[in-house]
Amino acid sequence: MTRLVRAEWTKLFTTRVWIGMLAAGLLITAGFAALMTAFAGNADSGLAPVGTAEFEQTALAQASGATVLTLILGIIGATQEYRHRTATPTFLTTPRRGQVIIAKLIAYALAAVPFAVLAVAVNYLVVAVYAGARGAAPSLTGDNIEVMTTSGLALVIYAVIGVGLGALMRNQVGAIVAALVYLFVVESVIRSIPATSGAYKWLPGGGLEAMTATFEGPDLLGAWQGGLLLLGYGLVAALLGTLLAVRRDIV
Amino acid sequence: MRVEVRGLTKSFGAVRAVTDLGFTVEPGSVTGFLGPNGAGKTTTLRMVLGLIGPDAGTATFDGVPYAALPDPIRTVGAVLETAFHPARSGRNHLRVYCRAAGLPVERADEVLRQVGLADAGGRRAGSYSLGMRQRLALATALLGDPGVLVLDEPANGLDPEGIQWLRGFLRHLAHDQGRTVLVSSHLLSEVEQTVDRVVIVGAGRLVREGSMADLRAGADGAGTVLVRSPEVARLAEVLRADGVPLTLDGAALTVTGRTTDEIGARAFAAGVELHELRSHTSGLEEIYFQLTAGQGQFAAPSPGTADPEGASR
Repeated sequence: MTRLVRAEWTKLFTTRVWIGMLAAGLLITAGFAALMTAFAGNADSGLAPVGTAEFEQTALAQASGATVLTLILGIIGATQEYRHRTATPTFLTTPRRGQVIIAKLIAYALAAVPFAVLAVAVNYLVVAVYAGARGAAPSLTGDNIEVMTTSGLALVIYAVIGVGLGALMRNQVGAIVAALVYLFVVESVIRSIPATSGAYKWLPGGGLEAMTATFEGPDLLGAWQGGLLLLGYGLVAALLGTLLAVRRDIV
Repeated sequence: MRVEVRGLTKSFGAVRAVTDLGFTVEPGSVTGFLGPNGAGKTTTLRMVLGLIGPDAGTATFDGVPYAALPDPIRTVGAVLETAFHPARSGRNHLRVYCRAAGLPVERADEVLRQVGLADAGGRRAGSYSLGMRQRLALATALLGDPGVLVLDEPANGLDPEGIQWLRGFLRHLAHDQGRTVLVSSHLLSEVEQTVDRVVIVGAGRLVREGSMADLRAGADGAGTVLVRSPEVARLAEVLRADGVPLTLDGAALTVTGRTTDEIGARAFAAGVELHELRSHTSGLEEIYFQLTAGQGQFAAPSPGTADPEGASR
């Protein structure tokens, strides 16, 4: 299994996709962190002023905005085998196809860790410098640490979901478009319609919000429950993807 | 290592691709897997390699199916299609499979040298020419130094020099190194000089299996000879009188089942001036066309099935 995980890392780091995803992830994180700080205490924005616990926990959770990028990274990692037809040499080398999917899940989860650490670090730096300049830099204690940890963890879990979704769908463009449409359209509709908003907390977006948003939002699970729910989605997708990968013909 | 295929059958939806196909590939020889496009060659090879699940039948390597081989890429190397990420260099492509199979990454450079790609290893595989892609696919197959090589249309995209090189390379792998080589092609002429044995399929069924020598023996004199002469009508008369089968087309004459030597001698004896006398198709090709005629998946009703002129194209 170590061999297969290292082979997946070789695949990941010998093309430049990861650089783009990391750069975009850090940009999104820094951008949202700066925005939150800029509008902190602004009456129209509804954001708590700099120096309050509410502001700090909201501003320090912005790395979770990069989950869409670790999700796409995972989708690309799983679907590129089919897109570029390398599934053939991959499954010739490892005829027990389930092991390939498991290796991908492990490889991308571990690769997402330094990604997450960097994103959280950038998030903290931007808030510390900007909010510091506006009067009060957030401390690295208690709830602040917790919200940063869960944001980072969300990045890792979304990479796992991406691999699972990719293994299930196989079509790269289809999987990415489906994921984006779901996250940005379907879930926000479900969240805003009263009849369905009760189900939102059980959906991936609800799980993510439970992990990272400590104050706002509707009825949500606890942070750790949300994390487990997300991980569950990732593993179910991966399991289905594995079962299908084992059976489908590679033509 | 001996490859044994028994009773392989596969349908894709309502389309029967392969039906009860069985053959054996012997070690130390090059076996040609021949058939027209759509005859089921690729499907068969993918079933042999465990990529496609057969509806029935088995394919084994010394008795073991591919998926159960303890160390597949050290046992069997396969060239199926040119599959790689276009943005990854050839060397890194090979290193991926070194890592996955637990081979030292230096193997990547060794096989690159073996197939003549040493200088191109650092370039993006997407920038490779068709011939270089085939060589990279072959390099991937050689990574594990396998005893069996399975190649699906490896000559596609190679220039004449590349084809010449490939022929020598495959013969060397089989005859000098004792490996088992199975190579598919839709053109008999492409592998005629390379293979020792042939397995011919048409419409997913076995048509013929045997040594090249056997096939040749059955093909003696069955080729066609093309003759051009200003006195073509008189030559036709002379030949017809001797019962030689022929077709007359303007100033040219096509004779079936006789050698150029015989036609030349007859023309000389009759005092007919010849402007051209050449062997048009070999007897072997004739046999191949007859065996596989109309069995391609998209076989068109061609005017050439009975006319060697058309069939030879």
